[in-house]
Amino acid sequence: MKSTFAISLLAAAAAFAAPSHADKLDDIIASGTLRCAVVLDFPPMGMRDESNTPVGFDVDYCNDLAAALGVKAEIVETPFPERIPALMSGRVDVGVASTSDTLERAKTVGMSIPYFAFEMAVTANDKSGIASFQDMKGKTVGATAGTFEAIALEKQVKEWGEGTFRPYQTQADVFLALSQGQLDATVSTSTVAQSNVKTGNFPGISVVGKAPFDIDYVALFTNREEYGLINYLNLFVNQQVRTGRYAELYEKWVGGDLPSLTVDGVHR
Amino acid sequence: MFNYTFQWKQAMARLPQMLDGAIVTMQVAILSMVIGILLAIVLTMFRLSGIRILSAVAKAWVEIARNTPALFQIYMAHFGLGSFGLHLSPFLSILIGITFNNAGYLTENFRGALKAIPDTQTRAARSLGMGAAGAFRHVVLPQMLRISFLPMTNQMVWAILMTSLGVTVGMNTDLYGVTQDLNALTFRTFELFALAAVIFYVITKIVTLGARLIAARLFRY
Amino acid sequence: MFDTALTAADFIFLAKGAGMTIVVTIISVIAGTVLGIVFGVIRYQLGAIWAAPLIFVLDIFRSIPLLIQLVLANAFMGTILRLNMSGFTVACIVLSMYTAAYCAEIVRGGIEAVPATTRRAARSLGMTWGQDMREIVLPLATRVALPSWIGLALGVMKDSALVYVVQVTELLRSTQILITRLQEPLLLLMICGAFYFVISFPLARFGGYLEKRWSND
Repeated sequence: MKSTFAISLLAAAAAFAAPSHADKLDDIIASGTLRCAVVLDFPPMGMRDESNTPVGFDVDYCNDLAAALGVKAEIVETPFPERIPALMSGRVDVGVASTSDTLERAKTVGMSIPYFAFEMAVTANDKSGIASFQDMKGKTVGATAGTFEAIALEKQVKEWGEGTFRPYQTQADVFLALSQGQLDATVSTSTVAQSNVKTGNFPGISVVGKAPFDIDYVALFTNREEYGLINYLNLFVNQQVRTGRYAELYEKWVGGDLPSLTVDGVHR
Repeated sequence: MFNYTFQWKQAMARLPQMLDGAIVTMQVAILSMVIGILLAIVLTMFRLSGIRILSAVAKAWVEIARNTPALFQIYMAHFGLGSFGLHLSPFLSILIGITFNNAGYLTENFRGALKAIPDTQTRAARSLGMGAAGAFRHVVLPQMLRISFLPMTNQMVWAILMTSLGVTVGMNTDLYGVTQDLNALTFRTFELFALAAVIFYVITKIVTLGARLIAARLFRY
Repeated sequence: MFDTALTAADFIFLAKGAGMTIVVTIISVIAGTVLGIVFGVIRYQLGAIWAAPLIFVLDIFRSIPLLIQLVLANAFMGTILRLNMSGFTVACIVLSMYTAAYCAEIVRGGIEAVPATTRRAARSLGMTWGQDMREIVLPLATRVALPSWIGLALGVMKDSALVYVVQVTELLRSTQILITRLQEPLLLLMICGAFYFVISFPLARFGGYLEKRWSND
């Protein structure tokens, strides 16, 4: 019984595996749909409006990309820890999910040039008395599992040697925990922090300062070996900035000083 | 045919960290079982007490534990109680969630076991001058625990498997949490989780075989 | 009574999640039961030694957290076999096998509960194996197995809360999405819990009733 199951699986694999080896860029254009992984509890990058439809910077960015390719966009919601698995399992074509371009991850997926840059901010529960990054020492802090800031913060807590670090599955759970007082403080991207505090959904929390982590450059990602698509994504990011669309979207969703996407003194 | 390169070495290099996680998993499972059994005994006494409020508490506990998802119970222990300003660490949340679930199921098992113990025994004990509590403790309880030994083993296995739900409340020290953290760093999903699966399998096998050995020693007449 | 920002649209959103929970459960329970009966009968006919490979495989599904089964199946089908499978399909396949693994044990227990003497009597009356299975074992074993089977089906419904890891938006996940937007965890969690309870409780009661009724005669 088990072996027939396995054989039919293998047969199915053989039948379907071959065509998917064609260039992914061609596949997307041929299929007429671009499936983007987007994190939807990460305002203002990705969130849901009153009718529970996805909106946000990343959602618009995916729509722009689809329009450039001349196809329809399909937003696939993925929690942070599930972004890469969703790509690897072929459920999405491209990740437009505020993904930090770490070297460790680039061993598994292919990253475009940065399309957005975050600064990290500390948000604290007012009762905790935390007023700066250093005050977090010895307290209970948390962040969203699998993100750049979670990895950096967990390392920092270990360095401090006191306090506890708790990763939650979603950004929303982090702010919920913070607002309930389960966490004393969190480090998140400043856009997310301001956006969440502004909603008024979370009473008793405020942004208290910057976290001294590196600027978090985030990239679009797709399968490592899809050079054709990665080239296209790079040019697309470049065009978004060149045409002023990047500034327009930034103004629409975030507002304020437009972060630079280039690093001085080095070529990408 | 497989267009995928396995990187087992990367996963194996993390084995010590995962085994540390397995120890935390076992701590949660064992604690939740010990407390769960004690609570289930208390709830069983509530049911038998004939006091309406107490038996209603026992009944509500059993039905909620058995008729809602374990994930819901754990989420509730963390964020639900959090709404009341009661803040539990992830470890406590998962422990309370699983213990609640264990106690509910075990109480139901005990109910089944009690049916197998004839009433006449209690009556005989009472007529020998034992109090109601004494009769329960010395006559009924030992038999009840013995009859429920197999269901208790099953519940223990479930408790081990349930610890994997701790990630939803910020737990990152148990086996599943450690594996997920490593996955976020390296994105080697299949290799890491396959290794975690093997560890879980070995643990549950050790527990069930161990329980069988204990049962063989304990329950021979 | 509650001061809430919950709108009718949100209720429809929750109802969709509940619908997904029910659909996944029904598909998995039906497929899992059919497989479970086949596995259970094979397991019984072959005996513990010849059925060892089957026992081993089914045991794996009972010894590994469902969450890990889902993650692994998802990674295996997608990353390694590169099948273009939806999360829904993966969820149904894994839950079906999970159901089958438990169902096989229930079926075997049911068959074993039929007294050997009854079956020998049937065979000595000239009944074939098939007739014996259909006319004698099936009705008697069903009585033993049905209450446990109801418990299993309800267990699968509750465990289907875990399919969120393969991006299936079922009831608990929809609840979390609404909590993200509305920040009313307690109320939303209560609604979610009540839904599971309302489906599960009467059926569990019915199972208990059958068990009681059938064990008396």
